[in-house]
Amino acid sequence: MAAPYAVFLLAFAAYPIVFALVLVFLRWDLVTAPSIAGFDNIRLLANDGRFWRAVANTFVFLSIHVPLQIVTALGLALALNRKLVLRGFWRAAFFLPVVISGAVVAILWSNLYATDVGLINKLLVRIGLSPVSWLTDPNTAMPAIAVMVTWKNVGFYVIIYLAGLQYIPRSCQEAIEIEGASAWQRFRFLTLPSLLPQTILVITLSTINGFQLFIEPYVMTGGGPLRRTYSVVLYLYNNAFAYQKMGYAATIGVALALIIGAVVLIQRRVIGRAEAL
Amino acid sequence: MPSVSFDHVRKTFGEMTVVEDFNLSVADGELLVLVGGSGSGKSTILRMVAGLEEVTSGTIRIDERDVTALAPRARDVAMVFQDYGLYPHMTVRENLSLGLRIRKIDPKEIDRRVTWAGGMLGLAPLLDRKPKALSGGQRQRVAMGRAMVREPKVFLFDEPLSNLDAGLRAQMRIEIGGLQRRLKTTTIYVTHDQVEAMTLGDRIVVLADGRIQQVGHPIALYRTPVNRFVAGFIGTPTMNFVEGSLQRENGQLTFAAEGVSVALSGNMSTDGRSEKVTLGIRPEDLRVDPAGDSAAGGLRGLVVLVERLGGTSHVHFDVGSRPHRLMASVTNDRLPDVGETIAVHVPPQHVHLFGADGQAFSRST
Amino acid sequence: MRTLRRIGLYVALGLAALTFIYPFLWMASSTFKPREEFGSLALIPDHFTLDNYRTMWARAPFGRALLNSTLVATTITLSVLVFGSMTAYAMARLRFRGRPALNAATLGVLLVPGQLTLIPLYTLIVQLGLIDTYPALILPYLFNATAILMMRQFFLQIPQSLIDAARMDGMSELRILFTIFWPLSKPVLSIVAIFTFMGSWNEVLWPLLVVRDEQLMTLPQLLTVFALGGGAGSVGVSLASAMVLVVPVVIAYMFLQRNFIESMAGAGIKG
Repeated sequence: MAAPYAVFLLAFAAYPIVFALVLVFLRWDLVTAPSIAGFDNIRLLANDGRFWRAVANTFVFLSIHVPLQIVTALGLALALNRKLVLRGFWRAAFFLPVVISGAVVAILWSNLYATDVGLINKLLVRIGLSPVSWLTDPNTAMPAIAVMVTWKNVGFYVIIYLAGLQYIPRSCQEAIEIEGASAWQRFRFLTLPSLLPQTILVITLSTINGFQLFIEPYVMTGGGPLRRTYSVVLYLYNNAFAYQKMGYAATIGVALALIIGAVVLIQRRVIGRAEAL
Repeated sequence: MPSVSFDHVRKTFGEMTVVEDFNLSVADGELLVLVGGSGSGKSTILRMVAGLEEVTSGTIRIDERDVTALAPRARDVAMVFQDYGLYPHMTVRENLSLGLRIRKIDPKEIDRRVTWAGGMLGLAPLLDRKPKALSGGQRQRVAMGRAMVREPKVFLFDEPLSNLDAGLRAQMRIEIGGLQRRLKTTTIYVTHDQVEAMTLGDRIVVLADGRIQQVGHPIALYRTPVNRFVAGFIGTPTMNFVEGSLQRENGQLTFAAEGVSVALSGNMSTDGRSEKVTLGIRPEDLRVDPAGDSAAGGLRGLVVLVERLGGTSHVHFDVGSRPHRLMASVTNDRLPDVGETIAVHVPPQHVHLFGADGQAFSRST
Repeated sequence: MRTLRRIGLYVALGLAALTFIYPFLWMASSTFKPREEFGSLALIPDHFTLDNYRTMWARAPFGRALLNSTLVATTITLSVLVFGSMTAYAMARLRFRGRPALNAATLGVLLVPGQLTLIPLYTLIVQLGLIDTYPALILPYLFNATAILMMRQFFLQIPQSLIDAARMDGMSELRILFTIFWPLSKPVLSIVAIFTFMGSWNEVLWPLLVVRDEQLMTLPQLLTVFALGGGAGSVGVSLASAMVLVVPVVIAYMFLQRNFIESMAGAGIKG
């Protein structure tokens, strides 16, 4: 009864993984026969400015997205973690963007960020500030996307934090109150440490998510301005679809998987050490 | 000066009144036990002292200071919770010292207190462990230590032994009692276990449905319960109850129920009370004569079950035509067998009588 | 004092909720505004118009795309539910050689980022000659590791006695799965159904790779191509096309939001 699944795994999981590694050493445009490229792809990748630009862009993205995600998700979760009127409504409101397609969100925010007719600039002007060329200024483009992705996903992480908050025993909360802690001290000594597992999850998931960024730059900026929003997956896609370089594209794919793995492991190590403190 | 005083304290949750007009003074250094079943209001009262529940009306004072509207952290009380409430991500030492660190007490003083409490409770080797590496009894001690280092005005215990097994409970009972006597800190202790209440309390408050049933020293509650609830709640095994009525025959006051007749002592004040009464007699006060000798004023009982517990045994027997099932605690060497008829003597001086309203008939001395 | 803080909290929450809902409201209202009015902050258009929708519908096969998306998402969801539950049942309650290996492989699949297998899968599809076909959109998604693990976890909880009784009655394993396990597994099945359907509905990258023919594009794909390719002409039109994708989801969400949240949050954590 599990045979179909086994077949599926072989065909659509095992074979692609193996073949991906094979492709790294091939040159292929899907039309003519593939040719051996040896280590060329790897060498090219190591020196490929565009690739490393994309990786750097991702780190720019993560440096804004991850802290912002933690702060907003945690803040909203704390606000929602009490007996509230219409609690279900608030939760549903924050979670709404999570269920909406990334393409739609990207298109929507392209228009919100539009320099001239965009809603955000219109509001800024209304309150007396000057408009910002969000998506066309190389310095603000990636941060703008980071804010948008935070907005889209925060509801998901709010749910994670809310679940974590339920697990803090009531007696601990009451004990620390009786011991004399102020609201800030309660947060610092009890709430925040208790939420460490959730925070780790938020960091890991949003990091992986950040490395997999595609539709947002694809729709909003095409990778510009000045390639500052060029993402790794976008580069991979272009190599396959536009430039027809299967071998190289596969190399990017493998490299990305390795980078993600390395980053997640390092994060685990760093947080593990912080936790021991 | 009373350490803690309750003045017409009342607590309602919406339509439901959980605590009715609670008035009490707790003396300085006293260990007061609040005992009752679930829903009796005992935990609510404790939590109102802590500040974890709002007082609907009335005043609570600690050392003459009105704390009714104060936040928990301003009241200088410390609480030991049923599930201990230890901070899972901190070591024992950090758990003990957090309250002091928050109050910015000098680190040397913190160390001194932690060492002192740790020593008293046998926690010294555990100081660097986290709660999940501790046994239930050890966690319980850490919870107590945490309360002790604060050197508060009042200790509040919320059923601290409920999560321990019977053997550990008995041992911790003694330790807590000893500890409190050494520290001399006023303590309010909540439990549903009347054995704990009897062994620990300087005074006991029996609660039911949010009302005080009786306040007093443990033996006073045992000897002279003021109503049927307290009589049935205090004392193990539970008091025997028989419904019947009072009769006067030739100047002799008698209790009568279907086929049962018990002579009562003359100094029971029965004026103006209803005829229908409940007789209460503790199993340990009944005298069983296995020979079946129906002495005057005695009952004849048919044995239905004998629980042999070693030193003491429980003899369950039927009397009267109903029949009424009673139980006697006996220490005789010769125990009756099931099916035997026994003679049971009811000493009038140990008889409790309760009217239809549940109130006890008092004895004039 | 406490009431003041409460009011402050609700105000803050209200403002926050607004930032999450307002953009969609603005988007919706913009689709009903004529070109001149676009960009105004007002939510109610001065001149309500359906032109944007008419234009969008005329310029690109959105009806067809809606059909495609529905077809693909439904097929995938059914496959994941039916075949996935079969697999999960086998992995949870049947003994067979290689069961531990299958378990490990399933977990392993979750660890590998999709981008690694993207290109090989693409080349496979090309070599099979399946570009611009429905199978291309469906095949790689027939089984979902997260779903299988979730269902397996749930199936492990069902008491063995139910299975034993059924086997003694002579029921086949498939029969046991569908007549006994399925009714008991409604919670996990609905969770799996929702996140599988939504995942497929919103997927863009894969369709962009394997489908070029406009008639076969999925809705988010057509929307992306349309909006980027300038076929929209005006923002109102491209937003209108976005609405086609969003409105069914929002309606379903309004009725089933608890299920959505449970489903997508749960799947994300497991994944």
